[in-house]
Amino acid sequence: MGNKQTIFTDEQLDAYQDCTFFTRKEILRLHGRYHELAPHLVPMDYTNDPDVKIPLALIVNMPELKENPFRNRIVESFSEDGLGNLSFNDFVDMFSVLSEMAPRELKAIYAFKIYDFNVDNYICKEDLEQTLNRLTKEELTPEEVVLVCEKAIEEADLDGDSKLSFADFENMISRAPDFLSTFHIRI
Amino acid sequence: METIPDGYEDLIELEAVGRSHRAVRFDLTDGDGEDLEAQRHHEPEHTHSLQRNSWSSSTQRVLSSMPSRSIRWNQTAVLSQNQSRCTKPRRRRAPNAVATTSGAANRDVFTEREDCANDVTQNEELLSKLQDLPAGECVRLLREMPLSVSEKRQIRALCFGWELEQPLSENRVLCCHQFQACFLKVLCGCWLGRLSQQISIQLWQKVLKNIGARFGTGILSYFIFLRRLLLYNILFFLINGLFLLLPQISNSPPPPKDNGMNTKDENAYLWMLTGKGVLTNSVMFYGHYTNSTSGHCQDKTKTCPHNYNIPLAYIFTIGTGMFVTCVLLVYRMSKSFGKSFCTLKTTGNLALKVFCSWDFNVCRKRSVKLQAVNICTQLKEMLSELSCRKKKRSLCSTLGWLSVHLLVWSICLLCIVGCMMAVYYIHRYIEQGGRMENDPEGLLTVPLVVSCLSHLLPGFFNKLSRGEDYNSPSVHIYVSIVRNLLLKGCIFSVLCYYWLQRIDDSKKDHKCWETFVGQELYRLVLMDLIVAMLHIIVAEFLWGMCLRNFTLRRRKLEFDIARDVLELIYGQTLVWFGVLFSPLLPAVQIVKLFLLFYFKKTSMMQNFHAPRKHWRATQMSTLFVSLLFLPSFIGALMCVIYTMWRIKPSSHCGPFRSFDNMLLLGEQWISGLGNSNPSLDWLSKAYIHLVDNPLFLFIFAGLFLTIIYIHMQLLDGQKLIIGRLQEQIDHEGEDKKFLIAKLQALNEARAQ
Repeated sequence: MGNKQTIFTDEQLDAYQDCTFFTRKEILRLHGRYHELAPHLVPMDYTNDPDVKIPLALIVNMPELKENPFRNRIVESFSEDGLGNLSFNDFVDMFSVLSEMAPRELKAIYAFKIYDFNVDNYICKEDLEQTLNRLTKEELTPEEVVLVCEKAIEEADLDGDSKLSFADFENMISRAPDFLSTFHIRI
Repeated sequence: METIPDGYEDLIELEAVGRSHRAVRFDLTDGDGEDLEAQRHHEPEHTHSLQRNSWSSSTQRVLSSMPSRSIRWNQTAVLSQNQSRCTKPRRRRAPNAVATTSGAANRDVFTEREDCANDVTQNEELLSKLQDLPAGECVRLLREMPLSVSEKRQIRALCFGWELEQPLSENRVLCCHQFQACFLKVLCGCWLGRLSQQISIQLWQKVLKNIGARFGTGILSYFIFLRRLLLYNILFFLINGLFLLLPQISNSPPPPKDNGMNTKDENAYLWMLTGKGVLTNSVMFYGHYTNSTSGHCQDKTKTCPHNYNIPLAYIFTIGTGMFVTCVLLVYRMSKSFGKSFCTLKTTGNLALKVFCSWDFNVCRKRSVKLQAVNICTQLKEMLSELSCRKKKRSLCSTLGWLSVHLLVWSICLLCIVGCMMAVYYIHRYIEQGGRMENDPEGLLTVPLVVSCLSHLLPGFFNKLSRGEDYNSPSVHIYVSIVRNLLLKGCIFSVLCYYWLQRIDDSKKDHKCWETFVGQELYRLVLMDLIVAMLHIIVAEFLWGMCLRNFTLRRRKLEFDIARDVLELIYGQTLVWFGVLFSPLLPAVQIVKLFLLFYFKKTSMMQNFHAPRKHWRATQMSTLFVSLLFLPSFIGALMCVIYTMWRIKPSSHCGPFRSFDNMLLLGEQWISGLGNSNPSLDWLSKAYIHLVDNPLFLFIFAGLFLTIIYIHMQLLDGQKLIIGRLQEQIDHEGEDKKFLIAKLQALNEARAQ
């Protein structure tokens, strides 16, 4: 590589390149973005893998996430503690899964986690209601919300427990070719 | 099997998705209040209430120990079909009072003990399986594992130790060169495809991000298509430039004597528009290329390949360029088809709308608001459709619908025929007026007319089709694409017919028909650009300004993606067809695409609003790439092959002066290869006995068709299996409901 950078060791960059869908240059660029979210918290020297986490409130201020109605859930799904505090590994993971090159199965797994608000491994009616309200910015009447939730679960629920398990969700996603292009954030 | 060494147990923290194992407790009901205390005693962590029925506590106890509720989440497609990840009970977080966060559901009380022993063996299995795989597969699996990056790094370090000097992912390129895949050209396609992916991902990244943020994925697909076309043209230009242009330039013959061409003409400055003048005898057009190995080597130049056979290079360069483009297109098409393939069921759109319609790319506040409003409107429409049944058409209205369709179709077909005749007769008129030779008006009229027709008529067709009533918006789009393609195809075929006639005429006149056709195509491409830019300026900037300032609602324009993509495809077809006669045409196309990109982008930002209708980007992208391959590229390729094979090159210019057709040179060369170079004798023998032999071609075609047929049968079989499995899942669901209800009935009976 061209310039000698001191942010990561070569071994670290190789590891990142093998574990995510990013190249070395993109990882360095991501580090730049991570750093500018909290310059006082994030060290420029990552050769020792410092244990630094940026809180949720700072991450959701990124321009790519700011207006997204699911921003909190997205960040929480990728955080290790479930509260939205992202280390650099989690940050890279998040954008790697949301990048163009991630395959459908991987995206489906994380999309399921995002829409599972109460984190019980199922998308139940309440999760669906919350999803709808965020999608439509509460423009639908409560009756319409209930109706849509019932219909959606009826359509997608295959094993009849009136909730969507991951298998139901994945089966439904396989019928949506647009999922790959819409579930994508460019960084 | 021995246990894993101590250190590893800490390192291996492979978790299920969600980074913690979640045992799903069965839900309690609100109604069954008296049992709540008992519940808490048995199941300390509980999630919130059940949707449907109120089960008794004994039923609940049974249900909560169902395998699907307490087993870990099985990941798909990692190493084997249902390989379960090993989990360790760890990370005891402070138990949360509100049991709705991930921290709480941490331990699997029911199966923890048994699984500890399984964990270790599954760990080892996973690692050993990863180590057995080749590097490329391993990287692919590692990337696709739904684990966090820190865990993946640990797995990577464990599997491969500390001996790695370079990332595994770089070995992918070496794999390709080890010829492990079936065919050489598939390999090359993969490699080239990945390389092209790298290049195209980086150009205009920020601009595309802004466009996507504001307008969404649908409109973004137009710009991505444009970028892809640019890439194909750059590759073609590089191939031509390196192997054809540079040798020809370093070897250029002395300028020919002026054959009555008046260079003091006042129209000489229009050479850039008309392709005449200075350009006629330049590397731009076929006529300039020498028909021999370099005999005109100038002493001043340092690189002077003495036996560089220009005519052979001509065939091989154009052929290689076409081949590379073909491979890239097929690769892109196969990837698109893979992405856009959807299984058969067409119902179930409401759930899809809820989960798959939010475009995560959009990040501007106003666009986000617009998107939310769109989705809301669509959901309301879907609800209203569900509530009222689809009205059946009566006989009268069916007849009316049919007659409207027929009327519109007949008007369109009449317009198309009218255009064809107009183009033909204008050509004849100009030719008879004798203004064809040097008069720019004569030269530019036909390209201007053709470009105007192909830009304006589709808009007219669209307006007509507003009166038609279609079952679904996608049918509407397909119909308008078909009409558009028909128009352009017909006009182009008239032009080809006219050129074929001119070729016959020019054989008597001793003129260079290839340069003539090359110039015509050059003018067509240029006029297309000029008309497109004028259209953007007038119909988008000026009209958009009028709409914004003089209407009350301050509307903006709506982007018609299908029409603009078809314009791009048409322009590219002209280039692919013309590259045989004008090897520098890809360079012109590169400049054109650059200009178009920036013009369109500026116009878009100012004059257009985000689309109201949901544009199915993936499926439409697949359609456009297929259109680019099938009618456009294959059509151009067929025309080029026909020209090279059947039409006699002109005898006064160009590299193929002395041949009956261009391909004869190639045949001659390969057949003669054995004589000049004994070690390559096998190649010429192979050519004579295999390629030139019709029997071999028949056998090859037969095999190819057989393989296609086998694949089709396989696909049919798989569709059948999918249908059957779907039924099976439905039946299992019914069984489950039945059994739960029976269980509940039994418990209630026992309780009484």
